[in-house]
Amino acid sequence: MQNLVEHTGKINELLARYGVKFGIYKEHVFHEQLFPFDPLPRVISKEEFSLLEKGLVQRVDALNAFLRDIYGGKQILKDKVIPEEFIFSSKGFLPQCDGFMPPKGIYSHISGIDLVQAKDKTWYILEDNLRIPSGASYPLIARKLCRLASPETFTKNHVETNKNYPVLLRAVMDNVNTGGLNVILTPGRYNAAFFEHSYLAEKTNSVLAMNSDLFVDNNNLFYRDNSGAAQRVGAVYRRISDEFIDPMNFLPESLIGVPNILTAYRSGNVAIINAPGNGVADDKGIYYFVPAMIKYYLAEDPILNNAPTYLMFDAKQRKQSLARMDELVFKDVSEAGGYGVVFGRELTPDKKTELAELIASQPRRFVAQEIIDFIDLPILDGGKQVLRKADLRAFVLAGATTQVWPCGLTRFSRNPTSFIVNSSQGGGFKDTWVLSL
Amino acid sequence: MGIISLEKQDHLFWLGRYCERVYTTIHTFLLGYDRMLDDDSTDYKSICKILDIPDIYKDEADFIKTYVYDGNDVNSIFSNLKRAYDNAIVLRDEISSVSLSYIQMALDAMEEYSKEPFSLLQLQRILDLLLAFWGSVDVYVFSDNSRDIIKGGRSLERLDLCIRLGYPAKRLTREFHMFETRMHRLSAQQYNAEAYQQFCSAFQKSGDLKKHLVLLNQIFVRR
Repeated sequence: MQNLVEHTGKINELLARYGVKFGIYKEHVFHEQLFPFDPLPRVISKEEFSLLEKGLVQRVDALNAFLRDIYGGKQILKDKVIPEEFIFSSKGFLPQCDGFMPPKGIYSHISGIDLVQAKDKTWYILEDNLRIPSGASYPLIARKLCRLASPETFTKNHVETNKNYPVLLRAVMDNVNTGGLNVILTPGRYNAAFFEHSYLAEKTNSVLAMNSDLFVDNNNLFYRDNSGAAQRVGAVYRRISDEFIDPMNFLPESLIGVPNILTAYRSGNVAIINAPGNGVADDKGIYYFVPAMIKYYLAEDPILNNAPTYLMFDAKQRKQSLARMDELVFKDVSEAGGYGVVFGRELTPDKKTELAELIASQPRRFVAQEIIDFIDLPILDGGKQVLRKADLRAFVLAGATTQVWPCGLTRFSRNPTSFIVNSSQGGGFKDTWVLSL
Repeated sequence: MGIISLEKQDHLFWLGRYCERVYTTIHTFLLGYDRMLDDDSTDYKSICKILDIPDIYKDEADFIKTYVYDGNDVNSIFSNLKRAYDNAIVLRDEISSVSLSYIQMALDAMEEYSKEPFSLLQLQRILDLLLAFWGSVDVYVFSDNSRDIIKGGRSLERLDLCIRLGYPAKRLTREFHMFETRMHRLSAQQYNAEAYQQFCSAFQKSGDLKKHLVLLNQIFVRR
């Protein structure tokens, strides 16, 4: 491991060489930033991963069952397991997708499930990302470089390989492909995750496409090649948000979507990965109900815990939460990327009153959670090891079977007092080792 | 991957052109720089003229610094390298991460050099990285067609610059034959065959080839 640590600078140099960056907009100007890599991995034992794997597969299977139900018979609402208000008021619920089942009934093909480990070693699910979760490419390329930097680290430690991600992803695409090309649809090079879009296209041997390369004719999706020929597309791994993906069916002002792609999808002629409309299942309000979904659809007890969460929509829970604001973190259900997260203890009395009033006026928009004092992981800071907060994004791929990638993106805060680990807010990343022995 | 859109074809072509432009203009600049030091301090004006770029420079010293390292001068070598990168960055799946990495490194190096105390020694690294890029294209661009398009762009740019720079007939003929060979590998649908034929006829007749640069530059313009 010492050898690996000694090569930190070189590894980061090579990551820069391969353009491992993410884009952010500051004051409307696009900047590309390197994503700082820390060589000290998060290590997950075989037994621990086995538990995580079971819990994650269970959770994603339940979420897929929920999506099939909610865009189908809506039995879970009829059985009053989830209040209707949480569905029909969710921005993520798309009436345009109602009554349609995607190929093989899979909605969330690639799920990014965010977890933290508390100091007593219990894992908690913090968030489900079922729309366009990003991040798998970073540990994928970093591991490759770490292996070059320090072979003995990998001969002495029995680490599960992570290089199968492109194979798993390709299998997920092939599984639902309706006949034709596999395409990764990107909004373009100024998207925050463009590195990942282009890297995964290269590694899965898919076509990286912009909207201008695609068109719909007779309810089929085509890629126009440079000879002018139309090549049929069977699966689109889109990295564009639902609202922008089709100007004819969603936001008409979208300049990055493909007109009528939803019509081709609804005709069963192309698979969209992940399916449009998944936002209804990864809303932070719906998150509260996932344990109930697992019991409802799978008749099983949840293997992994949610962080204790309170619905501001529920008058009693709201009253109790507002009475102990200092002990809780409040989250805006429609925000992501570490935004819309407010720690009650950090607010002035005036700001607390302001937040309480906002919550009272828009209760569906907020949840409160117990603050989980999750474990700190060692990182290198100026050559010394220091402890920082870190989470884990696990990637669950639903193809012919549901599988957990034996790796994941460990993000850490570089700020000693912060719990926010997002790259857009200055965080770095680590490799995640799953031990095979 | 091999299946490319018209837009990617354009990016491949311009990637080839800009890489060659950076490579050849560095050499041209270094030759002119040598003359400027020894003989004529206004020679930079003739460099601007032959490269068809506006003389916006205060004097020789300003030209030497700005033309090489100023990313805000749209005609600088740095700006041309940025354009090579702009085309390369959207082609990772086609040209491979390995090939793209040489352009990334050249751009990163140029950015670094532009902030350091002025020197031209570092340009050697940019040239080395560009040559490594071309070597990588041969190995890692798996689609013959994509490779031919990048090299078509490179060959066209070199011919264009050789004509502008007034290279001797023997050298021009060599560059022309290389260009012809490259063009024969492409499908006629991928370029403006009429402009190509007209340019070839004009080249055979010799005369003032600079008059035919417009024709040369129409060969890859989408109709």
